[in-house]
Amino acid sequence: MAEEEEYDYTKIPPTGSVEGIAAGAPEDSPRIGVYVCHCGINIKMVVDVEDVTRYAASLPNVVVARHYIFMCSDPGQDLIRKDLAEGRVNRVIVASCSPRMHEPTFRKTCSDSGLNPFYYEMANIREHCSWPHGDFHKEATEKAKELVRSAVARSALLEPLEEKLVDVKPEALVIGGGVTGMYAALDIANGGYKVHLVEKKPSIGGHVAQLSRTFPTLERVASLLTPRMIEVGAHPNIDLMTCSEVEEIGGYIGNFDVKVKRKPRYIDMEKCKDCTPCIEACPVKDIPDEFNEGLSTRSAIYIPFPFAVPPAYTIDAEHCLLLKEGKCGDATLETIKEGKAVPPCMAACPGVIDFEQKDEIEEFTAGTIIVATGYDLVDPGVSAEYKYGVYPNVITSMEFERLLSPGGPTGGKIELNGKEPKDIMFISCVGSRNKQVGNEYCSRVCCMYLAKQAYLAKEQLPDADVKVAFQDVRAFGKGFEEFYGDVKTEGVFYMRGLPGEIYKKPGSDRVVVRGENTFIGEPYEQEADLVVLGMGLAPNKDVKSIISMLKLSTSVDGFLMEAHPKLRPVDTATDGIFIAGCCASPKDITDSIAQGKATASGSLLYLVQGMAKIEPAISQIDEEICIGCARCVDVCPYGALELDEVRHVMTVNEAVCKGCGGCNSICPSGAATMKHYRDRQVYAQIEALTEITDVGMLAELESAATAAVAAEASAGAADTGSEAGEGEGAETEAVPGAE
Amino acid sequence: MGTLYEDMVAYGGEVFGKEHMETLRECVQCGKCTGGCPSGRNTAFRTRKLFQMALTDMREEIFNSPELWFCSTCYTCYERCPKGVKTTDLIRTIRNLAAKEGHMSVPHRMIGVYVLKTSHAVPLGPAQMELRKAVGLDEMAPTAQKYKDQLEQVQTIFKTTGYDAMIDFDWDTMNLKGMDKGGKK
Repeated sequence: MAEEEEYDYTKIPPTGSVEGIAAGAPEDSPRIGVYVCHCGINIKMVVDVEDVTRYAASLPNVVVARHYIFMCSDPGQDLIRKDLAEGRVNRVIVASCSPRMHEPTFRKTCSDSGLNPFYYEMANIREHCSWPHGDFHKEATEKAKELVRSAVARSALLEPLEEKLVDVKPEALVIGGGVTGMYAALDIANGGYKVHLVEKKPSIGGHVAQLSRTFPTLERVASLLTPRMIEVGAHPNIDLMTCSEVEEIGGYIGNFDVKVKRKPRYIDMEKCKDCTPCIEACPVKDIPDEFNEGLSTRSAIYIPFPFAVPPAYTIDAEHCLLLKEGKCGDATLETIKEGKAVPPCMAACPGVIDFEQKDEIEEFTAGTIIVATGYDLVDPGVSAEYKYGVYPNVITSMEFERLLSPGGPTGGKIELNGKEPKDIMFISCVGSRNKQVGNEYCSRVCCMYLAKQAYLAKEQLPDADVKVAFQDVRAFGKGFEEFYGDVKTEGVFYMRGLPGEIYKKPGSDRVVVRGENTFIGEPYEQEADLVVLGMGLAPNKDVKSIISMLKLSTSVDGFLMEAHPKLRPVDTATDGIFIAGCCASPKDITDSIAQGKATASGSLLYLVQGMAKIEPAISQIDEEICIGCARCVDVCPYGALELDEVRHVMTVNEAVCKGCGGCNSICPSGAATMKHYRDRQVYAQIEALTEITDVGMLAELESAATAAVAAEASAGAADTGSEAGEGEGAETEAVPGAE
Repeated sequence: MGTLYEDMVAYGGEVFGKEHMETLRECVQCGKCTGGCPSGRNTAFRTRKLFQMALTDMREEIFNSPELWFCSTCYTCYERCPKGVKTTDLIRTIRNLAAKEGHMSVPHRMIGVYVLKTSHAVPLGPAQMELRKAVGLDEMAPTAQKYKDQLEQVQTIFKTTGYDAMIDFDWDTMNLKGMDKGGKK
């Protein structure tokens, strides 16, 4: 269109202003200043900002309209500050980007100049105009004007609000005792504040404790982790709760009420000397050892691993004969009480084992919460063609870690059924980057742990043939690419292409890996006696209750969702609740620790200040109107509403309410309204957008819409349908039988 | 005629839907298809390579290679593709485009001959007829192979759609043209 070609954004000057029609309005009436931003060229290359400015100046209550190249810059904000200082305006509207981007910026500009920040309003003419309608200069400009018009209509009706402060209990809750939670807890504890660290398993350390060595530096994990674990266990500021699970969380920032269930260990931890006679005595010895990924067995009384913290034994209630079946040998709970028969463990270690221990509920208040619940390894059965569980030669990468670990089932020797493998094949991307198994994401750590494992295999078995079948090698971290080069120089052969299938070599205990070397473009059949599947990381399945207790969101991949993927990576939508480590997305030890420490920093921000601001744009009950029907209680997702039984009206817990508006829309009497989103403010906005200023007409439209969706299509609605059908390009849903 | 990819999306899109065909561009060349291909184990069929050739618009090379017809459409690669590329349906679409331009393998055309002659891709042969008789059944099953008027209906469909011309069918010999001289490409 010729008309559109005429618009040349390069001719628009960097700034300009137009006096508004309300320039002479009295001081105590709304005096609105509209500031239109070019966002460099992001807005002005599509939207005619000069035109929008002129239009804004023509709207009711507008005193001045200005446009500027970057409103968020200091000189841009100075335009607002100057107008406020001179008393020229008492309402501010910036037409620029999303409020998620710069609402805090401009609210602060206002409050610094003495204006209540809730007199600030925003029109989003970038995300809503210039970006999505890049090819439609004219229409985008019109839409920008409409958005400004609606902001102006709302602005005149805004009310000042006061931000409230709540006290913050100077204690933090960390859920998850893996490396992420440990570092978060240590930083807060070292900062001088109390931390409640809740771990489900009998020991802290998480998955990292299971690993052999780190990439790319090849340091022994046990020697890196043990000092930190001991520090956590002994720290005077850390209340370590192992074998424990969070049962209930209520409250709000600064005052989260937490209930933790401590499961019994059936051991007096003070007296347990970490020796072995009880293990030898226990008759149940065939339980797959979780720490060794089932490659070895343990007894029902056990210590998860030698460097466990706390260094105490636990009785596994699911397998202990006395706890499960009520009888171990001649002993029952009664015989123990009566001092007659005792089970073998008690006989071997008198005075330490106590079968009378019960679940204990511990309650406390925490100012902030850090969720560091980690990950699950993907189920290796998802890629059935690799025959995990069918052929013993096929193992997971975590199982291989245990074979590499000096504390593992083979004492660190790579062997399967006592035999050293001669041909080892590693396969990358099993259960990640795979739509068929439902995990589209990259697990980030597999490339490098496979490189490390292949390197360690070659180091231990120099004569073995070690190959890695890969689709890409992502060596993005510090020292990763160099390490990848070293691994290949050591003689590990990298073969591009994901294998198609694995089958047993007839008449042998070896398997054949069939795939394509995509660089050559030909299939191969490679014999191997050990195949290691590079398993991906999946969201932890056991944290569903924590997700619902804390009202956390998850992304499409199932991992916990951060408040902003770039700018707020460890915050959540709820103030005072943070996420860190692999519960948010797969990451390596370095990144997990960095996030753990980041959440400690976020927590300390509140703990140090001892108070937190709470959102003032929340629900308000008009007690004159409220009938106490409590329908709002059913829709409130935060439990913020309570019935005052005496006065029979609803009350809002202002610290708990998040301002979602559910009560506002369900309230039959109109008693529940939202501060900063009053009905009249929202209606003014809608009316301005639809250019309907006659409220009576709006009511008419409403009733027409209701009639149209009513089950019985009335004759009137049918007329509307057929009339619309005759109009050019009308897309009204025709009422059946209207013609 | 656009690029081979565009033609696949346009032509295959009518049957499978455009999004189905567009998965070709999601191929990451991991080779899992070739690596697990039961046919490629015994033949020169290379699935991953075929897709790369399709994406680089090597139309003539693909259409003129006999390998295109070696896929047994078993859907193994389709089930396993980590990127959800609709492999087998893409191969079938390439074959359709090749056939439209006169490139169809003789064995595939011969299946057409069977259908034209008997209305079955796998018609009853003497051995099956013997077997049927042995268990007390009518020699011929009650299908279009038995009833001439129904067979004629099948033949009419083939004539109307031009399938007979596409496979070079000779109505006089009821066989492919030139089959007596060892067949035609």
